[in-house]
Amino acid sequence: MMYHQMPIPPRSEHLWRYTPWHRIHPSKPDVIPSADGIVFKTQDNVSLIETSSTQPTSSEIARTFLHECKGSSYNLSLDNIAEPIHINARCSGHVSVGTLNVEVKGSAVLFIHLTGEPEWAGIRITGTVHPNSQLFYGFINELDSNAKFLRCEDWNLQRDASMENATLSLGGFRCKTDIRSSLNGTGASLRQAITVNADGAQHDDEHVEIHHHHGHTYSDLVMNSACGGSSHFIGTGLLTIAEGANKTDASQVFRNLLLSEKARAEAIPELEVLADDVSAAHGAASAPVDSEQMHYLMSRGLNPVDAQNMIVSGFLNDAFSNLTNAALIKEMRTRLTVHLECELKR
Amino acid sequence: MVEDSQEIIGDYQYGFHDPENSTIRFDKGLTEQVVRDISELKNEPEWMTDIRVKAYRHFVERVMPDWGNCSLLNMIDFENVTYFLRSSDKTEKSWDDVPDDIKNTFDRLGIPEAEQKWLGGVTAQYESEAVYHSIREDLEEQGVIFLDMDSGLKQYPEIVKKYFGTVVPHSDNKFSALNTAVWSGGSFLYIPKGVSVEMPVQAYFRINAKNMGQFERTLIIADEGSTVHYVEGCTAPNYSTDSLHSAVVELIAMKGAKIRYSTVQNWSSNVYNLVTKRAVAYQDAVVEWVDGNIGSKLTMKYPSVLLKGEGAHAEVISVAYAGEGQHQDTGAKVHHLASNTTSNILSKSISKGGGRSSYRGLLQVTPKSSGCRSKVVCDALILDEDSRSDTYPTMEIGNSSSDLEHEASVSKVSSDQLFYLMTRGFSEEEAMGLIVNGFFEPFTRELPMEYAVELNKLLELEMEGSIG
Repeated sequence: MMYHQMPIPPRSEHLWRYTPWHRIHPSKPDVIPSADGIVFKTQDNVSLIETSSTQPTSSEIARTFLHECKGSSYNLSLDNIAEPIHINARCSGHVSVGTLNVEVKGSAVLFIHLTGEPEWAGIRITGTVHPNSQLFYGFINELDSNAKFLRCEDWNLQRDASMENATLSLGGFRCKTDIRSSLNGTGASLRQAITVNADGAQHDDEHVEIHHHHGHTYSDLVMNSACGGSSHFIGTGLLTIAEGANKTDASQVFRNLLLSEKARAEAIPELEVLADDVSAAHGAASAPVDSEQMHYLMSRGLNPVDAQNMIVSGFLNDAFSNLTNAALIKEMRTRLTVHLECELKR
Repeated sequence: MVEDSQEIIGDYQYGFHDPENSTIRFDKGLTEQVVRDISELKNEPEWMTDIRVKAYRHFVERVMPDWGNCSLLNMIDFENVTYFLRSSDKTEKSWDDVPDDIKNTFDRLGIPEAEQKWLGGVTAQYESEAVYHSIREDLEEQGVIFLDMDSGLKQYPEIVKKYFGTVVPHSDNKFSALNTAVWSGGSFLYIPKGVSVEMPVQAYFRINAKNMGQFERTLIIADEGSTVHYVEGCTAPNYSTDSLHSAVVELIAMKGAKIRYSTVQNWSSNVYNLVTKRAVAYQDAVVEWVDGNIGSKLTMKYPSVLLKGEGAHAEVISVAYAGEGQHQDTGAKVHHLASNTTSNILSKSISKGGGRSSYRGLLQVTPKSSGCRSKVVCDALILDEDSRSDTYPTMEIGNSSSDLEHEASVSKVSSDQLFYLMTRGFSEEEAMGLIVNGFFEPFTRELPMEYAVELNKLLELEMEGSIG
């Protein structure tokens, strides 16, 4: 179905409840704007190829919209590359759109750094992790603080494939992220971590879907957000376990740390379980900074600001502790630390 | 009778039914005239007729919910429902005066016996209206008003007018609009300041006729510093065609008051149970919903509490059992609208034989409500591979000084626990029964003893044949 034929999704769908489509669309919902392409650049030895064919359309409105915007389009093939791959995705102009398709065979570590000062940026990433392959993937959003940002990702994990998917969401004024992963083969495993540091009037809406279509699969999602100023963070998750997907082990944890009176956070971790021999759990918690932790640090000579920053840093870094790949953890923690230190100097 | 004998009773022990001996029965279908006729028949004041008509118009305009189990919801044929059926011309104060066939039904349900032993008052509703009503004299002397809702409106119109629809307005949802338009029966309970009602008061709702719609309306007002425990039970016969139960319950707990509302819903598996239950708790008030859902085809029920006064507390304990062909879509909603308010939600569900249980909850803390605390725990057991369990929690936190937690788990019965019990001589089925009863124990311990025993028996019946 074409974008113009699609109905605008109602707010009763939790995906669009807090960030309705018209608020994330670059202009008016009935318009498909002309877009500049996001420029993807990486090391010379990596097969990143610009292509004219865009990714297949989808029945989901945001994905269809990005498809019809006709920005840049790239294919990336990763076949057992030992060195971490860094892709710089540079956005500019009024509306900036790019799509990337990733094929992984063997093992690879991939980082995408999103930067630039566009008014609006949209990125769609699709990928397949082939049987017995491993992908360790980090996405770092460092867009200008005035940008609106839409991100849609779809991952297909095949038999015995494993993926670690880490997100660091630091930039943008209004962000909507929708990451969907399907565990399509026995033994597939997904560890996902999302860290959000929102401040000022930032609005960050992160939606994660994990679908277990086969048994003996594993998933683990941790979403930590720290919200200051009058920022608003929304974390929604949908974990489904299909009929017959027995021996699935799945868990989701959503944690929100609220740093100011006006900060807001919503958590909607949903579970749909159609198999009986599974272990599925989720948890969500929202709280201010623990006064006992503050007291402990201040009694050791830290002033209240430093004490709070240390707690926030520890809390956000903790989201990556479910990951196993040292290079991925190191890069994500380094970028987070640099960001927090820059924040302090402002 | 031939047709009756063909109806399915199955294992449901309350699935029996009596011949219909109605004194007034409206034709099936809903029009504005039906709404006006119900009001006229009850000789209601004009303001109530106006509310009903307004609600009816809203019901017609309002679309069906586009969430939840839409395929089952859309199967409801509102034109094939009887909206009013009167079985007895008046509400009796003695069981001896209740028509024999109706009395026999309640005898079989054990209501008169329970009344003598442990209840402070009873309302028994059969089809659209109450057929029996009584309250202990000592409670009446203390100023406690316990009436069926129709009598409440007649005798205390000023109180009803003041509170009716203030907690659940007719425009809240399609089914609250339907209830407001055609409501009949239900309980009206007022506890004066400082009065503590030690023994629970009970209402029992029975649907007997086929394609019947029961739309009771309950209003409970606990004045400052008072306490009350209200217990509600529901059953219906098994028919091959569907019935509709769409109630509205409004609780108002004034400063320092405490209301506990316990329900064990055991409708037969042909009943749509679409209920709106909501409470308002003012300063330091406590509202507790203890909600058991065993029966029905589709239940959509989310007991809610609006914590409007500082220091108010809400407690929701709910269990759901979803067997073959059942969908228990239940949950709880707590709105922290004032500072330093607290809430606890505990939800437990079991799915078996292709049944589906869903927890749907909302926890909201508004920006100006500081220092709120809440904890939500949802546990689900899935007993076979055909069944399903969902959890749809929502947490909306509007300020930084509140502390909220949610945790949920879905699993099957632990083989270690089964093994442990079987090594001690229990059969697999008995062991499973014990584990399930233990799983529901946080709920049953909050029920009056007689209800808890009854619930355990019910669960044992439902669990029969669940092994192998």
